[in-house]
Amino acid sequence: MAGLTYKKLVCKDLHTYLRSLTPSVLDKLYCHPATCLAVYRDLPELARHYVMRILFVEQAVAQAVVKQWSNTSPEEQVEAAAALMELRVWYEQPLPGGMPGWLLNPTFRKNLSTALLGGGTPWLGTKDLTPDKYAKDIPFLDKYALERWECVLHFMVGSNEGSDGVNKDITDILLHSHLMRVDDGEPSITAEGFQFLLMDTSSQVWFFLLQYLDTVQTRGMDLVECLTFLFQLSFSSLGKDYSAEEMNENQLRFLQHLREFGLVYQRKRKSHRYYPTRLAINIVSGVSKDATGAKLDTHRPGFIVVETNYRVYSYTDSPLQVALLGLFCEMLYRFPNLAVANLTRASVRAAMSRGITAEQILHFLVSHAHPEMLKNNPVLPASITDQIKLWEMERDRIRFTDGVMYNQFLSQADFELLRNYAKDTDVLVWEMPEKRVIIVTKAGHDDVKKFWKRQRAS
Amino acid sequence: MVNVTKGVLVECDPAMKQFLLYLDNKNEFGRKFVLQDLDDTHLFITADIVEILQDRIDELLDQMSFSIAEK
Repeated sequence: MAGLTYKKLVCKDLHTYLRSLTPSVLDKLYCHPATCLAVYRDLPELARHYVMRILFVEQAVAQAVVKQWSNTSPEEQVEAAAALMELRVWYEQPLPGGMPGWLLNPTFRKNLSTALLGGGTPWLGTKDLTPDKYAKDIPFLDKYALERWECVLHFMVGSNEGSDGVNKDITDILLHSHLMRVDDGEPSITAEGFQFLLMDTSSQVWFFLLQYLDTVQTRGMDLVECLTFLFQLSFSSLGKDYSAEEMNENQLRFLQHLREFGLVYQRKRKSHRYYPTRLAINIVSGVSKDATGAKLDTHRPGFIVVETNYRVYSYTDSPLQVALLGLFCEMLYRFPNLAVANLTRASVRAAMSRGITAEQILHFLVSHAHPEMLKNNPVLPASITDQIKLWEMERDRIRFTDGVMYNQFLSQADFELLRNYAKDTDVLVWEMPEKRVIIVTKAGHDDVKKFWKRQRAS
Repeated sequence: MVNVTKGVLVECDPAMKQFLLYLDNKNEFGRKFVLQDLDDTHLFITADIVEILQDRIDELLDQMSFSIAEK
């Protein structure tokens, strides 16, 4: 039943995102060394190995030869080759003798070697800048970025703190991405939004940017231009200023948007220099595949202590963090620098009915755990982890699926005929050969009915 | 001849299935809603009952849990 289960928020990684782009966009993207390097870094290990070996081979290489380069399992080799195909890093090209071969995308080859060996035009505005009389250091940039980003989050949880900093662009993206929807003229948070709030900052920024990139074309901006700039930005260094003087109209607009999200710092709108912040750097690693991804948050130490008696102590003065905790805890006491809450079945279930999963709650608790908690192994008491998972399983005891049941078949042959048809068209929900019962989806019912009528007529 | 019925497939553990059958037998909602008893873990029921049924199941589970937290 679509209405009863909530869509899980899928955060695409870079690979999945790039795969969703059209080939022509991809080819244009590879015109810049920064993109090539970012894509290269994101490839599976074996695929990176392949690329390195043929980087300087300016002709197609036999597929059979490529196979012999590693003794990994055939599945892994197929996977690596497929990843390279999907991203158009290489394509299939027959050798003169007719053997199948791989040819590296020439644009990619050229720009990756530039990225690795140096040369080419400088990436970001490197026009010599005079020393900034308002020079900013890294702690300032971190603070600024976090403040900007928390504005967005505050706006989402509906607390009044600093929500005046949220302009229409940000609201548009939140609405577009279904993280919020308009109820009675006021934007309010959705189930997806709740899940978004519990992700770590780097995943949030990446998800948000993907949604933003979805909308750039409707704003009359060029997707390739934005992406290329973003990739360059992700390779820039923290605490260094870059010149905005050589940027064109569109890039400047994009820069202003990034400034609103806190990805770059610009003292004034018309200022000719900008500082990338920690949010922008390594942005393309986005949802990182390993646990180290959460480390981006660590410039702010954890503050949550969870006890085996379901008490949660939160040593923070940030209303945002307290509001987040309030999503799945029952708040008890509030002190200037401490909030006490209880994890209860009711509060956790309420969170789950909004689409938050046990995994997300646990991840949130672990990634914001107090340094004292981190000394424990496991970080959270096992009883808490288990109970939250049990509460989630309790909700899943019953699964409802809309469907249409076909039964009382006269012969086994009839049953099998209809079942196989339903299976082939991918509408079969459930079958029971002993009783000759099948259940197909509602959407597939008309089709199956027509098929059955045709069969009976013939 | 083939019989065609619209409804909702329910997949659950055997204990929960017995509870559903019990509700059906007792006419708790004033009518029968189980269309077909399929196997140990599957039932086919009428679509309009699903919402009431979920409330009822939540109620059952609420009864079976008690608050462990002290304030």
